[in-house]
Amino acid sequence: MNIVALFKLVPDLVEELEIDGNGTALNMDFLRLIINEFDDHAIEQAILLKERGGAQVSILGPDIEGVEDVLYTAASKGADRLIKLTGDFQGKANNHAMARAVTSALKELQPDLILTGVQANTDLDGSLGPLLAEYLDMPYVGYVSGVKVADGKVITRKEYPGGLVAEMEIKLPAVLGIQAAEQPPRYIAVAKVRQAMKTATIEVRTLAESDLSGGSTIRRMFKPEAGTRAEMIEGSAEEVTTRLLDIFKEIGVL
Amino acid sequence: MMPYDAVKSILVLIALLASFGVFGWRCYLALQGLRRGQSTPAFGGWGERIKGLIVYVAAQLRLFRFKAPGIAHFFVFWGFLTLSLTILQAILEGLLAYTNPHFVLPLIGNFGPLALLQDLFILCVALAILYDLYLRLIVNPERYKGSHKSQGLMVLMFIFTIMLTLAVTNGIRINLNDDLLQRYRPVSTLIGGLFAGLNPATQTIIEETAYWIHLGVVLLFLTELPEGKHFHIVTSIPAILLRNLEPRGRLPAAPEFEGQVGVKQVEQFRWRQMLDFYTCTECGRCQDMCPAFASGEPLSPKLLMMSLRDHLKDYSSASLPTRSLIGDAVAPSTLWACTTCYACDQECPLFIERIPLIVDMRRYLVNEGEVDALLQKTLANLGRYGNSFGQSERMRAKWTQPIQPVIKDARKEAVEYLWFVGDYASYHVMFSDITRKTAQVFQKADLDFGILYDAERNAGNDIRRVGEEGLFESLAEKNSAAMDKCKYNTIITTDPHTYNTLKNEYPANGNHHAVLHYTELLDQLIASGKLQFNKKLGYKVTYHDPCYLGRYNGIYDAPRRVIRALGCELIEMPRHGDRAFCCGAGGGKIWMEEQPEVKERPAESRVREAAGMSGISTLVTTCPKDLVMFRDAVKTAGLEGKIVVKDLIELVSEALELCKETVREQM
Ligand code: SF4
Ligand code: SF4
Repeated sequence: MNIVALFKLVPDLVEELEIDGNGTALNMDFLRLIINEFDDHAIEQAILLKERGGAQVSILGPDIEGVEDVLYTAASKGADRLIKLTGDFQGKANNHAMARAVTSALKELQPDLILTGVQANTDLDGSLGPLLAEYLDMPYVGYVSGVKVADGKVITRKEYPGGLVAEMEIKLPAVLGIQAAEQPPRYIAVAKVRQAMKTATIEVRTLAESDLSGGSTIRRMFKPEAGTRAEMIEGSAEEVTTRLLDIFKEIGVL
Repeated sequence: MMPYDAVKSILVLIALLASFGVFGWRCYLALQGLRRGQSTPAFGGWGERIKGLIVYVAAQLRLFRFKAPGIAHFFVFWGFLTLSLTILQAILEGLLAYTNPHFVLPLIGNFGPLALLQDLFILCVALAILYDLYLRLIVNPERYKGSHKSQGLMVLMFIFTIMLTLAVTNGIRINLNDDLLQRYRPVSTLIGGLFAGLNPATQTIIEETAYWIHLGVVLLFLTELPEGKHFHIVTSIPAILLRNLEPRGRLPAAPEFEGQVGVKQVEQFRWRQMLDFYTCTECGRCQDMCPAFASGEPLSPKLLMMSLRDHLKDYSSASLPTRSLIGDAVAPSTLWACTTCYACDQECPLFIERIPLIVDMRRYLVNEGEVDALLQKTLANLGRYGNSFGQSERMRAKWTQPIQPVIKDARKEAVEYLWFVGDYASYHVMFSDITRKTAQVFQKADLDFGILYDAERNAGNDIRRVGEEGLFESLAEKNSAAMDKCKYNTIITTDPHTYNTLKNEYPANGNHHAVLHYTELLDQLIASGKLQFNKKLGYKVTYHDPCYLGRYNGIYDAPRRVIRALGCELIEMPRHGDRAFCCGAGGGKIWMEEQPEVKERPAESRVREAAGMSGISTLVTTCPKDLVMFRDAVKTAGLEGKIVVKDLIELVSEALELCKETVREQM
């Protein structure tokens, strides 16, 4: 079984975000990138599947700062192939472009299962999973928090609001948007990553020119602007409710 | 029929051969495990080692830390040495009973003062044993819990019997005028007096019986030696001779076995470490001092040594080990409970060191990714941002913002002192104000100092002790690279943990600059008159010795001198100096999830101790982690209003009457 986990690097929110001069994108100069948390879970889930039933796990990510760390860490977890994708990922690239561009690299790997994080904080034009599924012509299930493999199929576990859980059976090959791996991503000691750096090799695939069509156009990007100040309602429960009712009436929702 | 004396000679010979045979065989079996151990670096410093034998074996210095038991042991030990000659006499006179019936040891056998000494020791040892019996049976202190009680009692009975039978033999010989040195044996004379009324033939029978019991018990004891805690009689001498002479604060490098880091199997320990397993006397002094044990965590430093010994014995006798070291013999929760405070190793009369053992096993767990969620998150933060707070390194020097004049950037200009501020002092909200005060004090003393700004990383002391050796190395490399680019003479640190690793472990990275804790620097500045206080504070305070400052690096006096120079009266807590009770934060504990077993957190126990002293208003610390732990503990223990926790620098700043803008009351 061939499993491919695809990851994105997203701005690390530990650093303060800044908008660039044009006011339509983040200023990349001060950004630090970190693996999208959901993608980290996707990688973990791929490794768990390998440990449980055997598989060949390939990890793919865009060739930008930080990619090697993620790849070598994945190798220490047990990933078999590490691939970085060179192409235009800065600035305007969107998920539509990304999904289209990686299609051929993915096809070449002949995956039975493609795992990717269900969402990322840079998903301005929808999440990557469904787009990939479309271009690869495969089924897609998102918000997955558990995967079982059973000959030619997978059974996914998906949680709905209100405590409902659904199990869905999907024919392979398929794309899954991972919300959470069955176990939180494991700790990889620095010595192990260093060892992987010495032994593992990273393959490189060059992606086609990006085609941005289908994505959204950003007119203005800005930090939340302070609105009118919130009103604190004080008093007994009864007074607070009366005041609330008045407000609701005032703004016309009651 | 063969005469009795001939039979006696033959029987003694057989008994000797048998008991020494059993003893030798058992020693061989017991020490078999050692042969599987890893090699140990060569032992240097023989002068120091021999001195150790005199101070710690002959004078038994560490044992007196527990006074009465120490004195009792001193007498038993010296009694054993002096009376070993009487044992030799007993063996030889038995062997030679037929050929040389009135044998006495040449020279010493006729030396009156020695006879007197031996006679007095019979009494002293017997009294010491009675005290030990009282201790074990009546007092039965907590520290004996889990030790082999019946074995301990059996050996006490052995020794008592040996003393009694010796006195009886000697006494009857005196009665029968058979002893040339009788006037040198008052104790034996007294015991002999009990039998004086019996007829000589009966007395001879009693004497012979006592002789046989004496020799029998001596030889039985010999065969029992390698079987338990009393093996220390044999192993303590090599253990003390070959004790670790490296600085305490320098952990040995992580052992590696084909891609495995740390120790997974008992045979991966060094043979020298294994020797300690056999040397432990189960006295429990270590356990008595252990903050993890006291707080109810599943760690007893004594039981840890005992389980390692049992495990090694099983391991070396079975062809296929069935129990795992980590998991079966030692629970991971036991390993994670240790704060690496060094209280146990400080106390052990036999210089047994278990922190390196614990860390080696932790190293294995960390490398296998077996860490709790909080620790995992912290390690990830440390790996990514170089601090345990998960904040950007760009924020590291944010605390400096209000300070005027601006603190020098040591990367850009030469300074006399490079101040390694440390994570807690840089990032912790509770501490940044105190860090600013430290800077103000340095400025007031006209100190030429600078900091590394955002090039500083966590120094890695506790990362190393958590077992993340690779991360420690990578941070140490980054810090060393940053410091190498600076021009400075001396490093100052706020944090004792940082101090320890910079001083003791960074030299491996080629950094050989002098390192001072800020309390040492203050002490120097006061002594040289560069720092003078306008105001005498007049507070009555007590002082907590941080583990990594006191026990690890022996800095006890400098902070105390500073406290006194401030015009404060210092009253010591019951547990102070090298017996200071750890706050519970060290060894990475501050980054781990709290265990449900915890009855009383070490920090709470400590602030209660301080608050329980009459007239004390302030608990002074010199470690940022202590301050954070204790202020928190004052709240959780409900002691607000009873005791205030302050860093020493706050008092210094107050005595200097430094400007108040950045000075906010922290309680
Ligand atoms: S170092 Fe401290 S916490 Fe660890 S075992 Fe020894 S006394 Fe207990
Ligand atoms: S390790 Fe040392 S202090 Fe602890 S029980 Fe053994 S001999 Fe006593």
